[in-house]
Amino acid sequence: MTLSQQRRFTTPEPDETLDSLAARARPDLDLATAIELIRGWNLHIFLMRRPRGLLLGGDVVFIEPPLI
Amino acid sequence: MFDILIKNGMVIDGVGSKAVLSDVGIKDGKILAIGENLKDGGRQVLDAAGLVVSPGFIDPHTHFDAQLLWDGAAKPALEHGVTSIIPGNCSLSLAPLKAEDRKTLIGMFQQIEELPPAAFTDAFEWTWETFSGYRAAIEGTLSVNVAPLVGHSVIRLWVMGADAQQRAARPEEISAMQDLLRECLNAGAVGLSTSFVDVDENARPVPSRFAQFQELDALCAVLGEFGRMLQIVPEFYDTDITIARIDQLAELSLKHKIPTTLSPVFDNRQSPNNVPRTLARIDEQMARGARVWPQMQTRPIDISFSLLRPSLFFARLPSWVKILRLPVTERISALRDPVTADKLVADAGEDGGERLMGRLIVRGGGEAPEHLVGRTLGDIAAERGEVPARALITLSLENDLEIAFLAANGGHDSTDRIGPMLANPLVHIGASDGGAHLTSFSTYGDTGYLFSEFVRKSGALTLEHAVQKITSEPAEIWGLKDRGILKTGYAADVVIFDPLTIDRGIERPVFDMPGGGMRYVRDSIGVDTVVVNGQIAWAKGAYTNAQTGQICELA
Repeated sequence: MTLSQQRRFTTPEPDETLDSLAARARPDLDLATAIELIRGWNLHIFLMRRPRGLLLGGDVVFIEPPLI
Repeated sequence: MFDILIKNGMVIDGVGSKAVLSDVGIKDGKILAIGENLKDGGRQVLDAAGLVVSPGFIDPHTHFDAQLLWDGAAKPALEHGVTSIIPGNCSLSLAPLKAEDRKTLIGMFQQIEELPPAAFTDAFEWTWETFSGYRAAIEGTLSVNVAPLVGHSVIRLWVMGADAQQRAARPEEISAMQDLLRECLNAGAVGLSTSFVDVDENARPVPSRFAQFQELDALCAVLGEFGRMLQIVPEFYDTDITIARIDQLAELSLKHKIPTTLSPVFDNRQSPNNVPRTLARIDEQMARGARVWPQMQTRPIDISFSLLRPSLFFARLPSWVKILRLPVTERISALRDPVTADKLVADAGEDGGERLMGRLIVRGGGEAPEHLVGRTLGDIAAERGEVPARALITLSLENDLEIAFLAANGGHDSTDRIGPMLANPLVHIGASDGGAHLTSFSTYGDTGYLFSEFVRKSGALTLEHAVQKITSEPAEIWGLKDRGILKTGYAADVVIFDPLTIDRGIERPVFDMPGGGMRYVRDSIGVDTVVVNGQIAWAKGAYTNAQTGQICELA
């Protein structure tokens, strides 16, 4: 059975920062844009979490916006 | 001669067959015979005329780990017909755990499962560090059967110490975790639990959340050696993340040939597409051969709380939790302090807590003034010219913190929607959280509620299907050998209940936890007799002295 398309995500590598994750996951974008977009697509990490933006090894990090 | 002969009952075998009038003969802890008019007689003969005779119910998501050390019946779960439980969920178990890490684990249990520290310090001696040691500590005094999970967070703590809540594991540490997990599985653990959402008492993510996917993959390779379960707590508040977790679980299930389960999954009007989208993805992954079981509970989450103690209700308000953890005298002083109160009100939201607290209902039965009982906090606040968060504080202070509030219909909020979901063959009924959240709500009686709400009231499930969903299905999903079916040679775990009245009782507070701690419970209604491994453990409203519960043998 073919899987339907779902929102693409990645998981952090050891010691990875948002910068390095953004560069790895979205090399098609300039770094500042990739960082800003990834922040906005992952409010569970960058808004709801305390401390905000703490990247955990087990995180699901979306690398694209929600699918319509 | 049988040890127990159950006569004239409507026997529901647990696999979905239609109920049939039959007798059930039990000997040496096993079902020996099922048939009409069995002749051999019994040392004990139970007349089940007009009642259903079914396999014992199985609760796959509990936190009775500590309670089992002073209460082998996991009261009151057993009197609701629950004969087998699975503790150790959500990355937390009482073993393996080094003595120096006990305080850390107690803090996590206190924060995540709302278990009081006294439950870990007043009621038993910690005599073990290993998983087999914990097993030995509970075996022999059990009245229910237990299939314990081992927690990922404690495995990390054992191997990495404080670094478990700081960083990714190194290859040699992952290897050590694999060895430790293997040891636990050899000692009878039914699988591994992990969490992607929980925090400790200092709001620090639990150790399992610091694990890379590669670490989880390595641990699942060990689960694959035994064919055992991986349980996770996903980010259930977000459908996209839940679907991502389903895909991760499917990958692990297919790669290592293991069953996996995620709990909880909730449905409500605020996110009506959550469960449909989740189940659609599960359907796709199951069709590929993956085993990914979403657990749904039968009841809505109705949180009761006062400012007398911390509550799950404040999980996303750390400043409130901090104040509620103070000794009562200091807490009252802090709440009376205008600066502190202003901060609490501000932290409740820019709307003064209207969205979060406005629909709270003043609960009766305590010290609440009669004229306030049943009214919403939003109404009362408006009448007083306050915002809801302020009214919550002032009302509490005016009533010596004894006034209780109810946050109703969290999680599920529609019987009409939930019934078909529970009946869906992809859905695993569970997620009761039995033995946890003691001061927020009762986690007992979900099985009775299944029958009263979704069999009798809504008709979403037949009686036979409902029994199947909480007996043979969980036994098969979790690999509990020879349980969950009324069949010759199977364990004699049996419930005799009245299908017309089985239900959960009203929620009521009791003070029976170690140190006099409070918890909410519900009595069982309509359950006549509960048999565990061939001995009557509960009958006619009373527990017996039977301690025939076992650590479940696994398929």
